[in-house]
Amino acid sequence: MTLIGTSVARPDARDKVTGAARYPADLVRPGMAHAKAIFAHRTHARIVRIDSTRARALPGVLAVLTAADVPYNRYGLISSDQEVLCSERVRYVGDRVALVVATNADVAAAGAALVEIEYEDLPAVTDPLAALLPGAPLVHPDLATNLLLHQPIRKGDVERGFAEADVILEGTFTTSWQEHAYLQPDAAVAYYEGDTLVVETAGQWLHEDRRQLAAIVGVSEDALIVRYAKIGGAFGGREDLSVQTLAALATWKLKRPTVLVWNREEAIVGHHKRHPFHITTRWGAKRDGTIIAVETRSVADGGAYASTSIEVLKCAAIFAHGPYRVPNVATDAYVTYTNNVPSGAFRGFGTPQAHWAAESMITRIANALEIDPIDIRRKNLYREGDTEATRSVLPPGVSALPVLERCAAEARARFEPRPPADSSSTKRRGLGIASGIKNVGYSFGYPDQSTATVELIGSARIERAVVRIGVADVGQGVSLILRQIVAEKLELPLRSVAIVHEDSAQAPNGGSASASRLTFMAGRAVHAAAAAAQANFNARTGTSATVQFRPKPTTAIDRITGEGDPNYCYGYVAQAVEVEVDITTGLTQVLRIISVHDVGRAINRQQVEGQIEGCLAQAVGYALTENFVSREGAILTPHFSTYLLPTTLDMPTEIYPIIMELADPQGPYGARGMSEMPLVPFAPAVAAAIYDATGAWVNDLPMTPERILDAIDAARERLTTAAAAAVP
Amino acid sequence: MFPAAFDYLPAHSVDEALAALLKHGADARILAGGQSLIPAMRFRLARPTVLVDINPIAGLAYLREENGALLMGAGARDFAVEVAPFIKERYHLIFDAAAVVADPIVRQSGTIVGSLCHNDPAGDWGVVALAARAEVVVRGNAGTRVVPIDDFLIDSFTTAVGEGEMALEARFPTPNERTSGSYQKIERKVGDFATAAAGVQLTLSADGTIAAAGVAIGAAGPTAKRVVEAEKILLGARPSIAVLRAAAAEAKEISDPIADTRGDIEFKREMAGVLVYRGLLATLKRLQQGELH
Ligand SMILES: Cc1cc2nc3c(=O)[nH]c(=O)nc-3n(C[C@H](O)[C@H](O)[C@H](O)COP(=O)(O)OP(=O)(O)OC[C@H]3O[C@@H](n4cnc5c(N)ncnc54)[C@H](O)[C@@H]3O)c2cc1C
Repeated sequence: MTLIGTSVARPDARDKVTGAARYPADLVRPGMAHAKAIFAHRTHARIVRIDSTRARALPGVLAVLTAADVPYNRYGLISSDQEVLCSERVRYVGDRVALVVATNADVAAAGAALVEIEYEDLPAVTDPLAALLPGAPLVHPDLATNLLLHQPIRKGDVERGFAEADVILEGTFTTSWQEHAYLQPDAAVAYYEGDTLVVETAGQWLHEDRRQLAAIVGVSEDALIVRYAKIGGAFGGREDLSVQTLAALATWKLKRPTVLVWNREEAIVGHHKRHPFHITTRWGAKRDGTIIAVETRSVADGGAYASTSIEVLKCAAIFAHGPYRVPNVATDAYVTYTNNVPSGAFRGFGTPQAHWAAESMITRIANALEIDPIDIRRKNLYREGDTEATRSVLPPGVSALPVLERCAAEARARFEPRPPADSSSTKRRGLGIASGIKNVGYSFGYPDQSTATVELIGSARIERAVVRIGVADVGQGVSLILRQIVAEKLELPLRSVAIVHEDSAQAPNGGSASASRLTFMAGRAVHAAAAAAQANFNARTGTSATVQFRPKPTTAIDRITGEGDPNYCYGYVAQAVEVEVDITTGLTQVLRIISVHDVGRAINRQQVEGQIEGCLAQAVGYALTENFVSREGAILTPHFSTYLLPTTLDMPTEIYPIIMELADPQGPYGARGMSEMPLVPFAPAVAAAIYDATGAWVNDLPMTPERILDAIDAARERLTTAAAAAVP
Repeated sequence: MFPAAFDYLPAHSVDEALAALLKHGADARILAGGQSLIPAMRFRLARPTVLVDINPIAGLAYLREENGALLMGAGARDFAVEVAPFIKERYHLIFDAAAVVADPIVRQSGTIVGSLCHNDPAGDWGVVALAARAEVVVRGNAGTRVVPIDDFLIDSFTTAVGEGEMALEARFPTPNERTSGSYQKIERKVGDFATAAAGVQLTLSADGTIAAAGVAIGAAGPTAKRVVEAEKILLGARPSIAVLRAAAAEAKEISDPIADTRGDIEFKREMAGVLVYRGLLATLKRLQQGELH
């Protein structure tokens, strides 16, 4: 093996750095019509009247489109509950009500200002707990309930478990929304090539986008092409359609090339976020640290539309007790509709929220029992052959324990013993550790697949190969990974392997760039297609082979017991962090991070390290700085001047990405997905470090300075009360 | 968003700039580093129709000491202040601030005078200027005035610079050997505006009592604020923990911040006190005062 494991440089890097790379907004050409979406900016309202007379009279305005112009006004990744343009009702501030199409962007904006829309405000529900109460305003009245899903999981007997426990702790945790903040705000151009409608944009799954878009404009999937330009990040934020629907609609309606580019505010208001969760959980353990019962109730805010909520919720439910073997589990997870911004896919997909509670709790149990937080994890982590809460055996290749051991060893080697606290200083240092687990690939019985074609060209022997597979290179570098795999398999130099991956008509369905799945799934597909083509190579006719790869099938989980076999592969992570907390200001700096990942096999080591470091920046934001604020449905942080992303200068200078290669039995060359994992346990690792530094636990994400100060005050009060109580 | 359309007039001398300002009146704005003006225009919070660019004016970026003061020309950038060895050596308050204004990229362009003219409620230089008792030289058609900083900072985004005028220079009195200062700022992330900020400058007399005191806070009201009562407490006092605490309490008392995503009112007021206390402590440490009691 020569290519597998080497850090081949990214072929797209230079163009991206110099600005030559073309992102969707760079595809605007002279003569294209410009569209401007009109947002509701209402939390919940009935549309009484839309009058576009004045807008249409404005010179340069080509059309003002409303719901009546949409052939099939429904879309959605899982259930089609979202309208392209709202017909009767708006359910959150970012709902789109009308689309103004004009000869240029300024006229489109001026036209949008002239459209008169009359609303009648309706009672709104913006608190997911309130949404579940009888009599709550209904977000989708036809459904008669705001409950999107209640997923229970039952294993063993929690009551008996708690009865046998020597220590029982309870905790309540909350998490907030997180904005994907991809660098490239949503943009799309649409035009006709002959009779075929082409939508050029950024997304995460060509063929799924095509399915939804074709349905909206009422054409067959063959009559519509989705092409991806360069994609400026996605992180789950481009799984749901946004601007594509409107650009396609305008072009279909007017038969004119149209462009729609959102600015940052429109992008933040207009697309889904990470789910906020409210979690109450009770953990019982034996004196030796064995966890014997975990009972959890979690409520997630799904926002106005279903998006991927039900899958996110199930992922959060199966990991309610973290990566631990717990004999008695009772979980009740709920996700509700509200009149907030929709929640959906975001790197980690429900598992960061679950770990926020679970990883905090296991460290608290360790503290209560005076056990080392590493030892308690060592005792309880999943082993090969263990059963999950869903009562299925874990997919083979369980590496939670070696990953933790490596993390502990790295922490010992790299974190010097702390200097004794200088009593005159207000800074305190602390260490924290956490473990994590996350599925790779689609779960719960979804028939996951990836299809690839490999074409071979050569006279006497194979000289060149063309790989065709429709996958989104969202910046993670999957196109290079797939070329490396094929070049390795065919023993060709990398430059002799080309890839066609960004056009739904030129490449088969490789599946979504999500769930850390492409290296694993698409990697297997291209590897198999290369092998099949190689076996039949015929120099005279040329050879092409198409292979669909399907992993070990999974099953749905039972609606009442949660029983089932949800996943075919897991990724394992452990992290150690050192923080410094200023106990009078609450300001907290992460000083060092060790992030250990079993990636099975690093196909391209530099790319794996890049994923770890980039993801950690998003994790630092999630843990500490990114405070997405929505009040009564209004988004108060629609700019980067108010929604604070960490920058390079906020990141610790010491980040140690540690890559372990314990081969996955199914993955290509043993590789398993990893790009979500650094976000999974990071926040609770930081919380544990803050506790180590200050004696205070923070229960709410993000851990803002105020929250940290409040927690320190509360911990002090508890100490004083305890001391007072101890006085005879 | 893109700014509304505007005309761009590069000025090659102060007179040329003033002539352009006079001609275009309230529609014209000076463009210095553009780090506040351009964002404001992009959000359409500002819609000048004419920008008078003072960057082409030669000899405006000076930093020099003259007649017992540090003179910063209207073209002097934050970055120049940050790297000037003589500032590091003697102007401790200014040196501290120069390293925490915005981020390194913004500091390459932003100017101190531009920041004072912009007068953002959370800006850093107004706080420094108050604590250091700076002055601003303003020139207009009617001539040149020297305006004490207390009279210069009028209200949020409003200063003593009138229509047709420009600020030419900021003047900071040169500290003597028994003078030092400190700038303290809390930011939610590197490069962010202050959640709370405090600037402090103290001069000790030979007997160890405080001979002069400047105390100011930022992000604590419509504009940077002098903490007059704190200065009164410090003046003539012998430094002690109790004196420092009393001065800090005054800062908390007059702090009048707005609640936003960076912090609520209670937190920001608390921090005003904490930062003044820290600033005083750091200043006395620099003046090599022993352990305080
Ligand atoms: C990302 C970012 C972060 C920032 N963070 C901070 C921060 O933490 N702390 C902070 O204090 N500032 C911060 N700023 C603002 C920055 O420091 C600005 O540079 C500064 O406030 C204005 O200086 P300027 O030279 O860029 O002025 P400009 O933007 O060019 O001008 C600002 C205003 O002053 C007027 N003006 C400028 N010069 C003159 C003059 N000579 N006479 C009369 N009027 C004049 C202009 O007409 C305009 O109205 C930040 C800016 C950015 C973009």
